[in-house]
Amino acid sequence: MQRLIFTFLFLFSLTIKSQNIPFVAGEKLTFTASYSMSGLLTDLAQVTMKTSEVKTSKSTLLKLKCTATTYSKWDNFFKIRDLYESYVNPNTLTPYLYKRDIYEGGYTKFVQYKYNHDSKTVNSLIRKSNRKGGTYDKKNTLSISENTNDIVTTIYHLRRLDLSNASIGVSYTFTVLFDNKETIVNFKYDGKEDINTAIGTKECYKLSITVDSSDVLKGKNSNLLWLTADANKIPVYAKFKIPVGNGELKIKSASGLKY
Amino acid sequence: MKKLVIILGIITATLAVILSVLPLSNLTYIPAIAALIFGLIATYMTRDNKESKKIIHLLLLITIISLAIATYKSIFNTVEIGNTEQLEEREKESEEKAIEELEDLGL
Repeated sequence: MQRLIFTFLFLFSLTIKSQNIPFVAGEKLTFTASYSMSGLLTDLAQVTMKTSEVKTSKSTLLKLKCTATTYSKWDNFFKIRDLYESYVNPNTLTPYLYKRDIYEGGYTKFVQYKYNHDSKTVNSLIRKSNRKGGTYDKKNTLSISENTNDIVTTIYHLRRLDLSNASIGVSYTFTVLFDNKETIVNFKYDGKEDINTAIGTKECYKLSITVDSSDVLKGKNSNLLWLTADANKIPVYAKFKIPVGNGELKIKSASGLKY
Repeated sequence: MKKLVIILGIITATLAVILSVLPLSNLTYIPAIAALIFGLIATYMTRDNKESKKIIHLLLLITIISLAIATYKSIFNTVEIGNTEQLEEREKESEEKAIEELEDLGL
């Protein structure tokens, strides 16, 4: 009987947790990335965020994928073909495997993290190209804290935040493992705002982003993210200031939404 | 002074025409407007002179051409993503490898 109650409670808790996840496999969000040059915005690349199911012999996992592709007119100048993937538990979004395979203007880099949540470690593999045209591998075992996630998982975790009753000024902290380094990223809730997007006018939660002890993002309140204030919590618009200028990420289309 | 204005006009007009054929064509408007202003100032300065105004006319012509190219590109050129065949192949390979690695992790 005790076992039966335990199993029931366990399954119930899983259901509650998966209900917290505002997306399902098959969701596809497409964005236009623009870069501001002398105050004029130029469309640079298309960014896609896609979720899909991946089946292994024992379980079904959720694959979170982000790709960045420059528009054809830029390909001869600075071609970008970036691929970021994370394989996570579909109910808890706990990451198991992360891959980053980038091609940016001839520069290539491959990063892989295999998570071991029992020992709180990550087996990291970094593959770079050398001068002879070949590649070399760098392997490491990194200790991580309990809530450390990769960048892709963090973006999706962000959508799980319950902001419906949040008070303005409240901060949410995420630990992100990027380039073998744990970085603290803070998201401060700045209230609600109506945003005009390609998928209609949406009431959005406005969040300002700061990265601790890093100069990746510049300026105060210059790095902002708007998530729709509905059950889907889609990121529809982002503004950021980096050392080489200002950029924007605008939603172009959204399909396969859960709600 | 007149010479300086004409030189500045030629520089900005050249910059405008270069930018108009590059993917950065929407930046053309900044040097093109500057070139137009320099061209008009130069025309005003030489209005009573009988000397040749060919260079100023050429400057204005180049500017108008660059503005036409930039406007045409902004209206008729659709933004489309480059060839993603290789990326799709990498994605497929990556997923196949990932399944093997996940199996190794006991998942």
